[in-house]
Amino acid sequence: MTQEQTIPLFEEVVNGWNKLSLSGGVKKESSDLRRARQSAFDKFRELGFPSIRNEEWKYTNLARFLKDEFTIEGWEVPGKTVVPDAALVKKAGITLLDCYQIVLVNGSWDGTIGGGTLPKGIQLLKVAEARQDPALSVYFEKQAAWGDQHFANLNAALFTDGLFIRVDAGVTVEKPIHVIHVYTSESNLLVQPRNVWVVNRNAELSVVESVVSGGTAKIWVNGLTEILVHQDARLHHTMIQTAGAGVRLVQQTTVHQHRQSLYNNFTITLPGADLVRNDLQARLEEEHTESHLYGLYLAAGHQLVDNHTLVDHQKPNCLSNELYKGVLLEQSTGVFNGKVYVHKDAQKTNAFQQNNNLVISKKATIDSKPQLEIFADDVKCSHGSTVGQFSEEALFYLRARGIGEESAKSLLINAFAFDVTEKIRIPEVEAHVNELISLHIPVNHA
Amino acid sequence: MPNDNEIIDNIANKEYEFGFVTDIEMDILPAGLNESTIRYISEKKKEPEWLLNWRLKGYQSFQKQKLPEWQNFELPAIDFQKISYYAAPRNKKKYNSLDEVDPELLATFAKLGIPLSEQKALTGVAVDAVFDSISIATTYKDKLKELGIIFCSFGEAVQEHPELVQKYVGSVVPHSDNIFAALNSAVFSDGSFVYIPKGVRCPMELSTYFRINTENTGQFERTLIIADEGSYVSYLEGCTAPMRDENQLHAAVVELIALENAEIKYSTVQNWYPGDKDGKGGIYNFVTKRGICKGANAKISWTQVETGSAITWKYPSVILQGDNSTGEFYSVAVTRNRQIADTGTKMHHIGRNTRSRIISKGISAGEGNNSYRGLVQIGPKADLARNFTQCDSLLIGDRCGAHTFPYIESKNNTATVEHEATTSKIGEDQIFYLNQRGIDSEKAVALIINGYAKEVLNQLPMEFAVEAQKLLSITLEGSVG
Repeated sequence: MTQEQTIPLFEEVVNGWNKLSLSGGVKKESSDLRRARQSAFDKFRELGFPSIRNEEWKYTNLARFLKDEFTIEGWEVPGKTVVPDAALVKKAGITLLDCYQIVLVNGSWDGTIGGGTLPKGIQLLKVAEARQDPALSVYFEKQAAWGDQHFANLNAALFTDGLFIRVDAGVTVEKPIHVIHVYTSESNLLVQPRNVWVVNRNAELSVVESVVSGGTAKIWVNGLTEILVHQDARLHHTMIQTAGAGVRLVQQTTVHQHRQSLYNNFTITLPGADLVRNDLQARLEEEHTESHLYGLYLAAGHQLVDNHTLVDHQKPNCLSNELYKGVLLEQSTGVFNGKVYVHKDAQKTNAFQQNNNLVISKKATIDSKPQLEIFADDVKCSHGSTVGQFSEEALFYLRARGIGEESAKSLLINAFAFDVTEKIRIPEVEAHVNELISLHIPVNHA
Repeated sequence: MPNDNEIIDNIANKEYEFGFVTDIEMDILPAGLNESTIRYISEKKKEPEWLLNWRLKGYQSFQKQKLPEWQNFELPAIDFQKISYYAAPRNKKKYNSLDEVDPELLATFAKLGIPLSEQKALTGVAVDAVFDSISIATTYKDKLKELGIIFCSFGEAVQEHPELVQKYVGSVVPHSDNIFAALNSAVFSDGSFVYIPKGVRCPMELSTYFRINTENTGQFERTLIIADEGSYVSYLEGCTAPMRDENQLHAAVVELIALENAEIKYSTVQNWYPGDKDGKGGIYNFVTKRGICKGANAKISWTQVETGSAITWKYPSVILQGDNSTGEFYSVAVTRNRQIADTGTKMHHIGRNTRSRIISKGISAGEGNNSYRGLVQIGPKADLARNFTQCDSLLIGDRCGAHTFPYIESKNNTATVEHEATTSKIGEDQIFYLNQRGIDSEKAVALIINGYAKEVLNQLPMEFAVEAQKLLSITLEGSVG
C-alpha cells in the first residue's frame, strides 16, 4: 500500500522511516543492519536535503525539484512489481546484443531472466531477499559508510529492494547482463533502489544498465549501488540514462577496488530526465589497481545534468584515467566536478582527468570544476577542462565539400562523442549509444 | 655531497634574513576593536566625515560576518580584540624633506635594501615606504607631479584629493565584500594612492614597501590605483616583518581601476616572516585584491611571487567589464616548513571579446601546502570571451601537498575556456642530465625551479625579477627531491 500523503518530501521521509521500522520485513533483518539503517537515517535527518550552500551541490539547485510531493514506495510489499509497459522495455533493448536481460520495475525484480539460463558461478538475487539472508546481510551492515552524502544516507536508511549480483572466484561470465530499470507510476513517487554487486577474485563480468521511464507522474529515483571488485577481478560497467521528463535521477555508485583489479565505467546521459545527478566514487584501496571512467552527457530542454566523480588513490602504483565529454543543447545546464585525491601513501600514482564541453546553444550553461588534491610527491597527475563551441574551420571544411550545415554539425557532435563511445567494449552497445545520440541531433540551435 | 635529509634540514633551518626589530619610539593604540578605535584612527588622521561614516559602515558589516569555512586549511582562531589597530613612529611634526625623517627609520629601510634618499634610490623607481600603520616617505614625488601623476600615501590623498578618493574607494572592493575587507575598511591606517591622468605613461616604476615592526599589531593598508583613459602604470609592492613567536595579521585591500585603453601592471614580491620550522609565528596574509577594467581595451595584469607568510590567502581578481579588455594573473607561490598558501584568481568576463590568461606555479617543499583556487566566470553577454588557465604544481619531499580547485562557469556558447593542470616532482632524469654536465644537484634544482617559474618571473619589472629570482633560490636552497 502506498501512502497517499500530500506533505513535502522531507516529512514523507520521516513518516516513511517511522513506518519502516515497524514493518515486518525490517524486523527480519539482522540487528546490525537495523543499526546501520538507524545511523544512516540519523545522519540524513541531521543533513537534510542539500542546498547550494553545500559545496558539492553548489551548481545543482534542488529547490525547484523538491517542491513537488512524493510518496515512498516499497517497504510494505517488498518485491511487489508493476507489470511494465512492453514498449518501454523494448525501447531500452539493445539490438543484436547477446545478453542476459533482466527488468527491474521501480527497483524491484520479478526474478525472470531473458536470454537463457545463467551459467554456474553467478548469482542474481532480489535485495528484498538478500537483506534478510544472514549470509548476505553483511553487505548492507556497514555503519556510517556514507559520510556526508545526503542521498546515499537516505537510501541506506530506507532501501527495500534492488539487485544483488555475485560472481564466484575465477568465473568469467561471457555474456553481459543487461539490467533494464523501468520507472513508471501514476502518482508522484520516491524510489530508492539499492544494488550490491560483488565480483570475486579473478572473475570477470560486464553489466549494462539502461534507465527508462513511463507514466505521467514525477518520479524521484535515489539509487545507491555498491560494487566490490576483488583481487585480479574485472568489471565493465555501462550505464545508459534515457529516462524521460518528470524523472529526477540521483545515482550514487561507490566502487571498492582490490589489488590488481580493473574497473571500467561508462556513464551515458541523454536528454529527457529533468535532473540527473551521478555521484561516482572509485576507491582504489589496494595496490596496482586500474580504473577507467568515461562519461558522455548530452543535455537538452531545461535539463540539468550533474556528474560528480571521485577517484580516491589510497595505495601506491595505481592508475586512473577519466574522460567526460558534454554536449549542451537548448537551455540545459551541465555540471562536472571531478576530484582526484592522492593519499600520502599513494606514491607512483598516475591519474589523468579530462572534461571537454561543447556548448551549442546560447542559453546553455556549463559549470566545470576539476579538482586535484595531492599529498604524495612521486606522482603524475594532470587534469584539463575546456569549454568551447564548433570549430568554424571544421564547419567550413565540411560545408565546402557540399555537406549541409545541419549534417555537418551532427557529424561534428558525433566526432566529439566518439572519444568516449569508441571506448565502449561491446560493439552492439556502442552502436546503440551512437544511435541514441543521432536521435537528438540535428539540433535546434535557438 | 650532503644526503637528501641533510639538505632538507638545511633549508628548514635557514634563517629569515629580515627578522630584525627596529627600536624606535612608537605611538601604539592599545589592543582592542570598537567604535571608538575607529573614531580615534579617523581623528588622528584628520579625516572628513564621509570617510568616518564609511569606516563605521565597514565596522558594521565586519560585525555581521563570520570567518569563512571553505578554505583548504585549518584557520587558526583570530582574536580581533588582541590586535592593536594603530601603530606609528612617534613624530612631532610632518616631515618636509627626507632629512627630517628619523635616521633609525631610514637605516631600517636601507637595511632592507630600500634606500629612501633619492640619490641612492634605484633609478627609475619611486618608492612609498610604509612602516607599521604609517607612510614614512615617498620618493620622486615632485618629478611625478610634473606629469600630473599623483603618488602619495592614502592619508595625504584623503586630504589633498578627497574627490578622487571618495569617488573610487570601495567601488571595486565594497566594505561588505568579505570579513577581512570589512575589517580593513573600518580600521585601515594608510597605504598608497596612485592617479595617472589621461594619456600619461608613467615613466618609472611605482613601488610601496611594507614593513610590520611593532609586536601585536596588525597591518591594514589600503591601496587605490586609478589609471585614467589611455594611461599606463607599473606598480610593485614588497614586504617584510621581524621574527616573532606571535602570529600577526595583515589584511590589506588593493583596488585597481583601469579606464578606457588604460593599463595597470601590479607586481607583488611577498616575503613576510613565514614562521619558524615548527610553524610557530609568522604573518597571516589575508589580502583582498581586485581590479576592474571599466572601459574598453583596458588591461590589468597581476604578477605575484609569494615566498613568505605563515598563511597566504588571497585571490587577486579582475572584473572584465569593458569590451576587449584583458586580465592576466601570473603567480609563483612557494611553501616550505609548515607554510600554507591558498591563492589563485578570479576572472569575471562581462564585456564582449574579453580575454584572460592565468599562469600559476606552485612549489611545495617540507610540510608546506599549496592550493590553487580559481574562478573563471563567463557572463551571458561576454560573447567571444577567451580564457586560458595553466596551473602546475611541483612537489619536493613526501610530506607536502598540492591542490587545485578551479571553477569554470560559462553562460555563453561563443566563449572558449581552457584549463589545464599538472602535478609532479622534479624528474630524476633532469637532475641526472645536469649532474652529468658537472652541475651539482643543488644548483641543478635551482636551475630547474627557475626554469619552471620563468614564465612568471619574466612578467616582473627587470630590477625586481633579479630580486625575485634570488629570493626563490634562497627559499628553496638545497631542496633536492
